[in-house]
Amino acid sequence: MSTRVKKKIEYHSLNVLTWLIVALVVFPIFWMVKVSLHTNGEILQGITSLSIPRPQWLNYKNLWETINFGQYFKNSLIICFSTMVVSCFLAILAGYALARYKFPGSDLFGISVIGTQMIPGIMFLLPIYLLFLKIKDLFGIPMVDTYWGMILVYSAFYTPMSIWIIRSFFVSIPKDLEESARIDGCNRIQAFVKVILPLSLPGIIAMCVYIFLTAWDELMFAWVLTTTPEVQTIPVGIRLFVGQYTNRYDLLMSAASVVTLPVIIVFFLSQKYFISGMTAGAVKG
Amino acid sequence: MEAPRVAESPKTGNSFGTRFKKGFKEYRVAYLFILPTFLFMILVHIFPMIQGIVMSFLKLNQFTLSQYLNAPFAGVKNYFDLLFNESNPVRQGLGFALRNTAIYSVVVTVSVMVIGLLVAMLLNRDFPGRGIARAAMLLPWVVPSYVVGVLWGFMWQKEGIINHILVDILHVMADKPFWLIGQNTIWAIIIPTVWRSWPFIMVVFLAGLQTIPDDLYEAAKIDGAGRLRQFFTITLPMLKPVIAVQLLFQIINNVYSYNIVAMMFGNGSGYPGEWGDLLMTALTRQTFGYWSFGVGAAASFILMGAMLVVVGIWYRIFRSELRAE
Repeated sequence: MSTRVKKKIEYHSLNVLTWLIVALVVFPIFWMVKVSLHTNGEILQGITSLSIPRPQWLNYKNLWETINFGQYFKNSLIICFSTMVVSCFLAILAGYALARYKFPGSDLFGISVIGTQMIPGIMFLLPIYLLFLKIKDLFGIPMVDTYWGMILVYSAFYTPMSIWIIRSFFVSIPKDLEESARIDGCNRIQAFVKVILPLSLPGIIAMCVYIFLTAWDELMFAWVLTTTPEVQTIPVGIRLFVGQYTNRYDLLMSAASVVTLPVIIVFFLSQKYFISGMTAGAVKG
Repeated sequence: MEAPRVAESPKTGNSFGTRFKKGFKEYRVAYLFILPTFLFMILVHIFPMIQGIVMSFLKLNQFTLSQYLNAPFAGVKNYFDLLFNESNPVRQGLGFALRNTAIYSVVVTVSVMVIGLLVAMLLNRDFPGRGIARAAMLLPWVVPSYVVGVLWGFMWQKEGIINHILVDILHVMADKPFWLIGQNTIWAIIIPTVWRSWPFIMVVFLAGLQTIPDDLYEAAKIDGAGRLRQFFTITLPMLKPVIAVQLLFQIINNVYSYNIVAMMFGNGSGYPGEWGDLLMTALTRQTFGYWSFGVGAAASFILMGAMLVVVGIWYRIFRSELRAE
């Protein structure tokens, strides 16, 4: 009887602890959205209460007009989405090759894929910039300040980790399934498209969300490789709200919310696949 | 007698030949599949990295940049300047950055792993709203890191919400401290990083916990093992492969951390101070600020070598775990 009471107390106190952690973790995001609904004057005086006396929905309109935030948003969407498509395609091919074949050099390739993560970004920041200028000199193709330049760099950056994610997903699919499909008359490509791809959909979705989130997050290369607002991404544009000439914390916070909320929505829609896809790789190695 | 022999010998020859051909054909598909990635890696990783290494041996500054790889050869002067020449501008504050990066990486990595594991165990129980709690806890992980930097930089202000909670509501401290100036800065960069990183580790650990069969715990209970004993003899060993992989990625991410600190201080243009500067922010600022690309490349190369040593140590420690998979 006393152990049962004890167990019950423990169960409920652990639940309380869990929800306390949830509150603590979510609070900064709540705070960001809340601050975005105040006037700049209120923010500069300091906000400490939880209530929002006069929600400034106008901030969400002004943020697109004060600077050309829509252009940055569009650029980020185009670059990140294209990167996602390219990286996803490359990673599926390479990940499948690594998961199914043990070819001469496969170990070396697998190691160098992970090895690319060891190189500090700053090491090839300048070489890539100069390489881009060289490409323009030699072939007349502009690379700096272009969508495809950014997409090329980002795709190359995020493909290695994507290969790592999707490879372990392919490994977890039994080989027999593919072989029985081939006995039924499919060729290798058909077996791959009809059997393997549908089964690895959670992994592919997880990988795509991973690529999109990471590209959405990149700023060091965006700062150096783009110089005009026509191609610059959000992390470059968002800096304009608070800086030398302006101090618009209201717009900064509403921009931050605008940037975060779509990602949260996409994440919630894909959550089921995302978690299983991401952790399948992580757990099975 | 003759017939089967004749039939047999071409058969064996055939099977060897087809096996060889088939093998080649199969490899061809594999090579074809990795080819685009391989080309991308050459173009964006390997080729620029080699250039970076070459750069580290050149006298590369604002006067010689246009010559790029034809710039005057400097031997190991860049390395020497970096390590021993006190007056080299790139060296300014690099010692602080190195110390901060060491503290930051160790504290963030350990906190993220410990919090991740504890909360994963908390969520690995049956209670109403478990799915909602898990999803809500994952939220920080989807917040872009530049937003994390901007948002926490705002919250850390002297009259900001964090000081309000600590001083006016909880009365933990007597006076409102400066978080973005002085020694407190190291916490002002560690806490947001932990906030953003632990949820992912938690979800991975949670998935790992769910693969541990209940029988193991039942058997341990019958043998009279307490909770703590169960944790150290069952949970931890079973999670070791997962811990190994996440540990490696955490170390790499934290040593190379840039976004949060860069955005928190002057949106990438400010100096985070003696207790807030990290290797990546310091190197980026100084090499581009002083046009000292040779020395910057030398520093990156040394850093990469150091990371390879760390990975080597990691591999030695966890080798058996990784092989078992």
